[in-house]
Parts: sequence; C-alpha cells; structure tokens
Amino acid sequence: MNKNLILYAIILVFGLAAPFIFPAFKVQLSILCVLIILAVTWNIQGGEMGYNSFGNILFYGLGMYLCASVQVGMFFPLAEWTESGGEKTFVHTPLQFFQGMAVGLIVAAVVPTIVAGLIGYSILGLRGHYFAICTLGLGVAAGEISGGIEIIGAGQGFTTPPFPNVGGLEARGEFFYFCSFFALVLAFITIRAIYSTRFKLILNAIRDNEDKAEAMGIETMKYKIIGWMVSAFFCGLAGGIMGGLVGYIDSTDVAFDGREMGVFMVLMAILGGKGTLWGPIIGATVFHIFKEGFWTFFLGWQYVALGVLIVVIVIYFPEGIMGWLREKYPERFGEVIDEADRKAQVELK
Amino acid sequence: MKINKIILSFISALAILISTSVVSFAKVVGDKIVLGAAISLTGKYSSNGVHTQNGYNLAVERINSMGGVKVGGKTYKFDIIYYDDESNPKRAAQLAERLISQDGVEFMLGPYSSGLTKAIAPVTEKYGVPMVEANGASRSLFTKGYKYLFAVLAPANLYLDVAIETAVELNGGKPVRIAQAFEQDAFSQDVRLGILDAAKRTGSEIIIDDKLPKELNDMAATLVKVKQMKPDVLVVSGHTKGALTAIRQIAEMKVDVPMLAMTHCDAAKLSKQHGKNSQYALCASQWHKSLTYKDKFFGTGMKYAKDFEKKFKYDPPYQSAESSAALLVFKDAFERANSFDKKKVRDALAATNMQTFYGNIKFAEGGQNVDKPMVLFQVMCDDSGKCENKVVAPLKWASAKLIHPIPKWSER
Repeated sequence: MNKNLILYAIILVFGLAAPFIFPAFKVQLSILCVLIILAVTWNIQGGEMGYNSFGNILFYGLGMYLCASVQVGMFFPLAEWTESGGEKTFVHTPLQFFQGMAVGLIVAAVVPTIVAGLIGYSILGLRGHYFAICTLGLGVAAGEISGGIEIIGAGQGFTTPPFPNVGGLEARGEFFYFCSFFALVLAFITIRAIYSTRFKLILNAIRDNEDKAEAMGIETMKYKIIGWMVSAFFCGLAGGIMGGLVGYIDSTDVAFDGREMGVFMVLMAILGGKGTLWGPIIGATVFHIFKEGFWTFFLGWQYVALGVLIVVIVIYFPEGIMGWLREKYPERFGEVIDEADRKAQVELK
Repeated sequence: MKINKIILSFISALAILISTSVVSFAKVVGDKIVLGAAISLTGKYSSNGVHTQNGYNLAVERINSMGGVKVGGKTYKFDIIYYDDESNPKRAAQLAERLISQDGVEFMLGPYSSGLTKAIAPVTEKYGVPMVEANGASRSLFTKGYKYLFAVLAPANLYLDVAIETAVELNGGKPVRIAQAFEQDAFSQDVRLGILDAAKRTGSEIIIDDKLPKELNDMAATLVKVKQMKPDVLVVSGHTKGALTAIRQIAEMKVDVPMLAMTHCDAAKLSKQHGKNSQYALCASQWHKSLTYKDKFFGTGMKYAKDFEKKFKYDPPYQSAESSAALLVFKDAFERANSFDKKKVRDALAATNMQTFYGNIKFAEGGQNVDKPMVLFQVMCDDSGKCENKVVAPLKWASAKLIHPIPKWSER
C-alpha cells in the first residue's frame, strides 16, 4: 500500500510540474489528460461491463456546448452571442470568465449525467451489437441536431469566450492544463474507489454472464445505468474543458466528433488493455504520442501509419499492452505461479 | 506490487521522450523567414487544402527566385512549415498552438475554410502572431476585434448577393422567389446570411431554405422541392462537394431553374468534371484569371494561370490565387516594416495598400480586404462541348453576357 502511495505521489508531482517542465507542450498535455479521461471512462462500459458504447461522445459534446453556453449565458444574451456566426462581441471580465467557467463545468458534468440516466434507462436493455449500434446512432444524431439549433450557433459554430487578459501569455495554457489534470485526478480517484468495491465485481458479472448475474439477484439494470452515469459525468466535464481549450465548437467536428474522439476513446482503451485500471491510461498516452509523431513525421501518410498501428495492436496485442504484460510477467501482477504445481498439472495432462 | 515498477519506468520513458523531442526553430533561421501553416491535406476540405498549399508554394518559389525579401539590408527567403489539420477545427487550434509555442513560428499563413480560421484566430491573437489568411471569409472573423488577423479576400456574405440583385434586375426590378440550400458550416452559412440580406433589400421571397449535411453527397430532397415549387433562383453553397453534388443531381433529375448560383465552381473544376451539365451555372469567385490586375512577381492573372498550370497541371482556382497573394502581402509588409518584430510587422500589414495580380489589397479595421470586389462568372460551353468560365459581372470586367434564363433541359 505504501508503495502505491509513493507511486501516486510521484505521478501527482510529475503532473503538477509537467506544464513547467515542458512549457511548449501544455496544450498537448491538456489534450492527453482529456483523452485519458475519455479512455478510462469508456473502459467502465467497454472493459468492465462488456458493453461496447460508441455513445460516450454524446456526453462529451453535450458538456462542451453546455459549459460554453452557461459561460456566455450567465452574463450576456446567448442568442446575440451566436447570431450570424458570432458577429457581435461581448467581452468577459476575468471574474466573469472564471465564474462562468466554474458554473459551466458543473453544469457540463451534471446534465450529461442526468441524460445518461434517462437514455440508459431506455437503451441499456439492449445487448451486444444492438447496444453498440444504438449508441453509435446517438452520437451521430446529436451532431446533426445540434448543427441545426440556432441558439448554439448551428452550422456556424460557437466561439467560446476568449481567455481574459490576465497573467501573461502562459496563463491560458496553464489554466486549461490544470483544469484537465484535476478532472483527470478526480476521475481516477473516483473510478479507483469504485473498482475497489463490489460494484466492479457486479460489472464484471454482467460482462461475463448477464443472465446468470440477474438470476443471482443482482439488479443489473441499476448498475448498468449507474456505471454509464459515472462515465457521462466525467465525459461531460472533459468536454467542457476541451471546448474552452479549443475555443471554437463545431457540431460534428469538435463536439460530437464520433469519427475521431468517439473512435479514439475505444481504440485507446483497447490498446492499453481494456478491463484494467491502468490499461486505458497507458493506452491513451501511447496513442497520443504515436499520433502526434505520425502527424509530424509521416505527413500525408499519417492515417496509413495509424492504420498499421491499429492492425499491429489487433494482431499482436489483442489484450492490449497491460494484457500482454500480464501474460508475460504474471508474477508482477500478483499472480503467483507455483512451479511444482504447474509441472504437476502439465504432467497430469 | 511490481506493476508499480512498470508504470514508473513507463512514465520516465515518456518524460525522456518528450524532453528530447523539443525542437525549436526560430522565426528567422539564417536567411530564412519561417512561416507556419495548418492546411487541410486530408478530410473533407482536402482538395481545397491542396489548392491553398499549391498557391502558397508557388508564391514562395517565385518570391525566393526573384530576390527574396529584403529586411535590414539582408536578403531572406521564405520557408513554410506545414501541418495537416484534417479539416478539423480542434486539430487546427492545436496545431496553431504547436506552430507557435513549439516550432517558434512568429508569422502564420491561414488554413483553408472559415471554420478552421475561426479556430486558429484566437490562438494567433493571444500570442500576437500576425496571420495573413486567404481562405477564411466568414464575416464574424472581422467583427471580433482581432488585431493580428488579415484576410486578402472579401467577406463571405458578399459572395452571392450580386446574383440576387442581378436576378431582380433581370426580372424587371420585381422581387424574385429564391430557393436555397447551404451546407452546415461557417462559410456557407455566412453566404446564406448574405442572401437573406439581399432578399430583404429587394423584397424577394425565400421559398426553400434547406440545410445540407457536411458530408455532402446528396441533395435530391431539395431538388425535388425545387422541381415542384419552380423558384426563380436556386442558390447552393457547400464548398467543392456542394458544387459537384448540385450539378450532378440537377442534371440527373433534369431540374429546370432560370438561374443557378453557386460557390466553389472553379475549385471543383466543374467545367472539366461535368462538362456540358455544368453549363450556365453562375459562380461567385474572389478572382478570375481574366481580371486586369498586375504585379511584378506574377504579372497578370493570365500569366499566373499559365505558370500555375505548368507546375500543377490544372487551372488555378481562386483559392490558389488568393493564397499566393497572401505571400505577396507578407513580403511587402516585411520590407516596409524593415524588421522581424511582430508588432512592427503587424502595423505594416495594417497599412498595406498594394496591387497584386489577384486584386487590390487594403485592410479595413477588422482585417478584411475592402479594396477588391467579388466577381461572378458563368460556365459557358461551345458546340464541341468545351466549357469555360467567363466573367459576367461586374460589368467592368465582363467578358461575356449573362445567359438568362437558363434554357430548359428539354431544349438543350
């Protein structure tokens, strides 16, 4: 346990110091935090519960629009802000900006959670491919619908309030980095806490055999919905932060970006090893680094390189990085193998 | 818990990787002025992204071969760092940040499309990095009070309102009935606003007002309505795909409409791809090769078109021309500022007043070019089926007379 604490302390210190050690990479690091949040929360459904959700992007996009709308709407008429693609300009004072952001982030986290509860109640009865396809539709529909709502900018997009002129050039990057880093820490602590309870075992039971779990008296529906609500909470939060970081929200390309973010979150969890706590974190980090590298060094071929990476993952690491490590070094994962016992078993065969 | 060791070594490996990958360029390396640009090389704007990049490259080559940029008695050459923004605003904002804070770029060229420019402008503004952009026409870009954004093109709402006015004029001054379909993106929606204004001004009625999806491959639903309701003008805007889809389906469904006004005809190479089917389409353009502007680097528009064609094997659309013009503006501003100080260059840019082969360039307070009107051309075909874009408005540059109304499909 002590060793664990040391590890977490080191990571925490590293996370807090990162924007000062790598000042030029603040934006990438912020995005990395957001990616990790998305991967870790996707893992609750896809990894632990065995429900491949493509719909988590819905909560991310919802959070993004909500946070920006609240931030603007608290102080200025939102309809005028977005009218004609945002022709009129209102300027937030620093206090207004941060107040708006704080309230906006709370709304961005809470509302998607409620939405997840409602939607979950109606569609979590679907299983397997049916659930996956249904959630895929959710994200696409949300993108198209939001592209038609005038008050949030419709097809023109929504320019989020510019960062106020305080604290010099670096302030904006640092602010959003710490926002995303703290959201990540919060997500990690919450999910770790959840995973140490019976809740995780129930999720695993649902994954392994839902009918049996039900037969044993577990109210699977309740746990499925709660699981999804937890994911939605953090996806919404991540979306809210990302909206402020990017500065411009577009319905299908930034907010309900199922084609990229929606797929990446699945990919990252699988790359790292779904169904583990650290897998999605490692997966997201590796993925982000590879992606940035490909986009720099293989310009024009980046998608080919990414495709090759995915193929390699699927063929050689079907269980992800953590799964592969676990197979290779089981003893490091606390799995004790008694050599004599193993031999005895082999001989029996 | 040996797993800790794995995670720890992983983190340290990550730290080493990041710290070794910090490569910093200066804005001016040796005799090179390094400009940064995020361009859509993949994704839905990839064809226009390439037009933009070709325009930039041609101008860089030309300026460098004709003596480069003289600042402080020394000659410098242009160089551009490109990244692919995947036609995605999120990516574009991230790349702008990266160009400025990691690559140390201090002068930027714009991306393709209004949406991406909207995403990049806050970043360049924050760092006080002057950006000359050639492909972000949305009106809202110029009302935000950006000080470091300069656009060599006319705002999007001016693209097609001339077409409406022309239609009204040809209708004997009486209001017309307009059908319109626009892609759901910043640029097309701005063109729509321009049409709404023009309709209001002329008292015209909008009878169909459709939104088209971003992945634009089908607009049959709109065209069915057009067939039924018989408007006087059909306006379509949706970048290259919008132009191609509209022409393809109008020909397939034999939709008769007296006037068809569009954007991006030249970028979509309509006259080449669809030949006679694209005949009579009226197109808004920032530039046409037959215009009579001149400069010492490219000569006239005709000469530019020839040089461009020689290098890239296709006729330059206006997206390329305006992109080339952006470099000319930068060169001019550097030389007048006689410095690489961002603030000084910005002030020099603001004071720009020059003629290029692409048109006159003079920036208003908001950064938009106010000295260059839009032109309208019409696709015209001869009997052998060879089609060409001919300027029909404004009259000053018109090389042909507008054909109106468009003959019915049954009579073609």
